[in-house]
Amino acid sequence: MKMNTETALKWIAEVFNESPGGITPETNREDIPEWDSLGVLTLMADLDEKFDILLTADQMGAMTKVNDILEVLQQHQKLSPAN
Amino acid sequence: MPITSTRAPVFRAVTSCVPSGKFDNTAENPEFTKEEVEKVVRMAGVKTRHLADDSVCSSDLCLAAAKNVLATLEWSPDSIDAVIMVTQSPDYFLPSTACLIHRDLELRSGCAAFDVGLGCSGYPYGIWLASMMLQSPGFRRVLVLHGETPSKFTEKSDRSVALLFGDAGSATALESKDEDDGSKWWFSLNTDGTGAGDLIMKGGGFRERFPEELVKNFVYMNGANVFNFTIKRVPPLIEETLIGAGVDRSGIDYFIFHQSNRFIMRHLAKKAGIPEDKMPITIDRFGSTGGPSVPLTLAQGAMERPVDRALNLLLLGYGVGLSWGSALVDLPPQAVLNHIEI
Repeated sequence: MKMNTETALKWIAEVFNESPGGITPETNREDIPEWDSLGVLTLMADLDEKFDILLTADQMGAMTKVNDILEVLQQHQKLSPAN
Repeated sequence: MPITSTRAPVFRAVTSCVPSGKFDNTAENPEFTKEEVEKVVRMAGVKTRHLADDSVCSSDLCLAAAKNVLATLEWSPDSIDAVIMVTQSPDYFLPSTACLIHRDLELRSGCAAFDVGLGCSGYPYGIWLASMMLQSPGFRRVLVLHGETPSKFTEKSDRSVALLFGDAGSATALESKDEDDGSKWWFSLNTDGTGAGDLIMKGGGFRERFPEELVKNFVYMNGANVFNFTIKRVPPLIEETLIGAGVDRSGIDYFIFHQSNRFIMRHLAKKAGIPEDKMPITIDRFGSTGGPSVPLTLAQGAMERPVDRALNLLLLGYGVGLSWGSALVDLPPQAVLNHIEI
């Protein structure tokens, strides 16, 4: 499954129960209340289920903003190039 | 991943036992806000748990279960050839908790009794061990006891575990068949010791007997690492056990998972292609009780049991160690499943 950045941001917002337009690539982890230890598990599960990407706890811990998630999708060729 | 088999013994009875003290996770909790509790309860799926008070240990839960099994089957204590106690919450470092139970059940001196220090993976390992013994001359009846009181090593303010764990014990009675009918039970037993630090209680053992930091007397869990391990290891465990046994997944009546966390179990079921109605759930009522959650789910998972054939079950344990195991077994219609509280 591949998605464009806009769709990816909507998916990330859904994972963390944020409003669809509520986050940008520059949004920091600490500004997303549900990106806590439980949110990390939800993100891990969704990455695995939707994209077959299984990250380690260290890799999850290294992500500090939304763009880090987008980069993971990019590295696994799950993000379509920008138009 | 090695798959092994034994001659199939017979499940005669399984009794699960929980403390009567019931704790409602949604009741007011001084350690967490209402929102925090709701989030954890929603994710882990634990509504209520049974917690042992100071006077109740794993041995007490297993002893009560064992007495229930012996009474149900009308087995005399003298007829028991071995008792295996699987636990990581023993009464003492020495003697083995199995020896205390041997005393309390008044078993004969020719009966083997020993502990197995495994947790979440303990039931498949315990069943395998008993099955191996039952292939040997002189072993006809073995009790596998599996009990844990994880609430006693949980730090109350640790959100990752405080609302998750409950206490439970169990007794499983296995008996060898009079004749070898060619039927087999299949097992896969696995370990990744590099993950030892992801689920650990550092204090109290001989590495650090009296730690200055009291938190070391409680369990530490790296949730993300344990989740990663579960997703990576359990779906292949299922697949490779079935392939090794030459059984199609459609031939399995129920997949009995260690009740780790409802969210994780749902994810595992999706990943492994298991319909949710083939995965009984007991974590909602009892919490995650460690390895005994498997026999507890056998007894309390509301499986539909036909009267004219055995159920084919895949038992799955995974967690602390890191250790994981499977047991592909059959549960005959005559096997008695009971549940008690003390």
